[in-house]
Amino acid sequence: MAKYILKRILTAIPMILIITIICFTLIHMAPYDAIDSMTNPKMSQETIDLIRAKYGYDQPVYIQYIRWIQGMLGGNFGYSIVTHQNIADDLVARIPNTIKLVLPAYLTAYILSIILGLVAGSHKNKWQDKLIDGLASIGIATPTFWVAMLLIYFFGYKLKVLPILGMHTIGLESSFADYMRHFIMPYIVLTLGFLPDSIRYVRSSTITQYAEDYVMVQNAFGASKKEIMFKHVCKNVLLPVITKLGMALPMLVTGAIITETIFGWPGIGPYFIKAIQSMDYPIVMAILVLSSTLVILGNLLSDILYCVTDPRIREMG
Amino acid sequence: MTFKKLKRTVALFCVSALALSALSGCSKDPTAEDTSGNANATATGQSTSGKTFTYAIAGDPGNNVNVITTSDRFGLMTIKMIYSPLLMYNADGINWFLAKDVEVSDDNLTYTFHLRDDVKWSDGQPFTADDVVFTYEAMADEKNGGWAYSQLVYDQGTVKVEKIDDYTVSMTMPFVNASALEMLSNIFIMPKHIYENVTDFENNEFNMNPVGTGPYVMSEYSAGSYVKFSKNDSYFLGTPDIDTIVFQIIENSNTAMLAIQSGEVNAWIGTPSEVQQMKIEENNLKTVAYSEGRVGYLMINANRIKDEKVRQALLFALNRDEMNQACFLTAENYETPWSFIPPGNEYFTENVEKYEQNIEKSKQMLKEAGAENLKIKLGFASSDPVQQKQAVMVQEQLQKVGVTVELAGGDATALSNAMKDPNNEYDAYFGGYIMGIDPDTFSSLFESTAAFNYMHYDYPEIDQLFKQGRTETDPEKRKEIYTKVQQAIQNTGCFYPITSNKRILVISNNVSGIEEAKLVPVYTFEDTSKLKMN
Repeated sequence: MAKYILKRILTAIPMILIITIICFTLIHMAPYDAIDSMTNPKMSQETIDLIRAKYGYDQPVYIQYIRWIQGMLGGNFGYSIVTHQNIADDLVARIPNTIKLVLPAYLTAYILSIILGLVAGSHKNKWQDKLIDGLASIGIATPTFWVAMLLIYFFGYKLKVLPILGMHTIGLESSFADYMRHFIMPYIVLTLGFLPDSIRYVRSSTITQYAEDYVMVQNAFGASKKEIMFKHVCKNVLLPVITKLGMALPMLVTGAIITETIFGWPGIGPYFIKAIQSMDYPIVMAILVLSSTLVILGNLLSDILYCVTDPRIREMG
Repeated sequence: MTFKKLKRTVALFCVSALALSALSGCSKDPTAEDTSGNANATATGQSTSGKTFTYAIAGDPGNNVNVITTSDRFGLMTIKMIYSPLLMYNADGINWFLAKDVEVSDDNLTYTFHLRDDVKWSDGQPFTADDVVFTYEAMADEKNGGWAYSQLVYDQGTVKVEKIDDYTVSMTMPFVNASALEMLSNIFIMPKHIYENVTDFENNEFNMNPVGTGPYVMSEYSAGSYVKFSKNDSYFLGTPDIDTIVFQIIENSNTAMLAIQSGEVNAWIGTPSEVQQMKIEENNLKTVAYSEGRVGYLMINANRIKDEKVRQALLFALNRDEMNQACFLTAENYETPWSFIPPGNEYFTENVEKYEQNIEKSKQMLKEAGAENLKIKLGFASSDPVQQKQAVMVQEQLQKVGVTVELAGGDATALSNAMKDPNNEYDAYFGGYIMGIDPDTFSSLFESTAAFNYMHYDYPEIDQLFKQGRTETDPEKRKEIYTKVQQAIQNTGCFYPITSNKRILVISNNVSGIEEAKLVPVYTFEDTSKLKMN
């Protein structure tokens, strides 16, 4: 097992390297760079060249890449070109905020989707299924920013029961009640955003399991519906669902970009969007590397979870 | 993991989720009650910290601001709160801050500033001429990459900054430059005793705990959320009325629109169409439109449309009034420029070719030039709603004289970057600029060899005029020269000024003193200490 994990981690390293090369190349193929987005006709060409040289933009791309990767390996994420902030510090300040929002929302959506998916799958083509599946379809087609704006409009503006912005009322940073009031709207939006996808996933795997021969055998033996559901189908449905949990790892960083931006939640979302707009490539690269690393780790995690939960695979491996 | 275990965990999750929602349920009600009073809590202020003014800004300025290297809008707004310049030079003239006045030598080269002797840094140290010399030298130092480098360093040499005594500084220009005072203005002074041994102004421990002479002191920074300033009781222009000013970061303008209407923030900059959707009076708000001296234009690429006649014919087919009414709704939101200088500037003249719409003349001229059935490619920023509308209207207006317009929308920065290339693929494009007050500041856009000559024209007489104007010190003669420049540029048919649109500040009714605080480009308020709240 340990050998298997080690092997997986070792193969992940070249993958991350390749991802960084692709990201870096793509950013440098863009029709402008961070300096262009900062300059204005008030600056002389000389000033612009000075700034460009200061950030190494006058060097060929591969040298820029080597410099950057050296920094990364030394744990130095670099500095924002636009605001000159230390990126590592910025990320440390923002990632916990994102996790505080995404984790509860994802777990809620996860649990609800298991329940609703099982109900829908076991009542295939009955009204319960049609209702749940129908709502999930609508949910998939509904953009989160729209739901967010609706909530803000009704609860924040019309009824004025909830604050619209941010994580805390300024001056009330230590108040948990105040935090909850800020938390509730983005939390609902995110939960609704995560939910439909997972419901449909659980539902379809439930339906697949019900079509298996062992269900027919159990029926023939006269097992009760409940028994079939909880003793047999459920077990098999939950296996792939567990692996989904591992793959949700990168969500902790990039799972709420739009929602955060709309609610002014001080997480990674608004930070990332602003950086992309101004081509602040050190920030974009840092977040891309972080999230791609998490994707790879998440996959690894779900493989391991699979091994742990399913003895058949463990024996195979 | 067995199934039973799993079931238990699931149950646990359910219970905690329930508990969580129950908690939020009960916390909602008690606080909801005081929301009626609390809706304006941020406005009227918490009892402990006095009056709080919250201003919504669209980006994070960070807390690592430095007077030399910070050049982004929100960073500069932060700088304006905590530091002071010698003087501010804006459309309404000169406002003195750390300097009291200036004496100009007879040869028009040396500017001697008399400094205030009653100013203290926020750490108690006295402000002196040493700080001024230190800051200007750092700004002129190539390796610091300062934002105002090109205001102090010229081909002819560098501005010489010398301390005469503790409260007198002289600055000597390398050549006679009529816009010298503007070039020396708006540079914020940093404390020498703090930054003396700093080699990297961009990143150092002192930037985070700034020591300034501004009306406010940075008291708290919450990454991605807000920057909080508390008043500087010993501010040299009088203690500010508002105790706390908060820059609240809201990236999404729809959210900002609702937040200001619900009273969560007190001020925000909106566009005319956004403001039109809002319930201004109902929510105790007011709007103030102010000019940033911006000029929005259509430029024709002389490298692609080489015939002056054809370019002029195209401009005669356009109608800027129609475009402005469609984009800015009411006349309060914009002014109409007739040349490259924004209206309101003392050098602005109406005595130029205005290209008022004349379809017949346009058709006639196109025919004479043999350019019928012309096809042109028009570049615009597709994320900018104003340029979108303008592009469609130009297409429609040129249709009437038989010119086909291909609309080529793209990213704003990518477009302006492409415009700099003399061999770019566009025949015409939209853009806008905010330059300085002195007409010479516009030369970087309009001289033939200028780096930002997006029209790629080559008119030696325009360059000659700009050169004359730069060194002429007699105001009357200068005015004459720049009138000629404006006429010459209009005659090229390359430049079609469309609008000088204003920024619209939406602000709570209970905020006053906006006129005294003065609305200016970039910083919004020239002196926040003059704002008052009831």
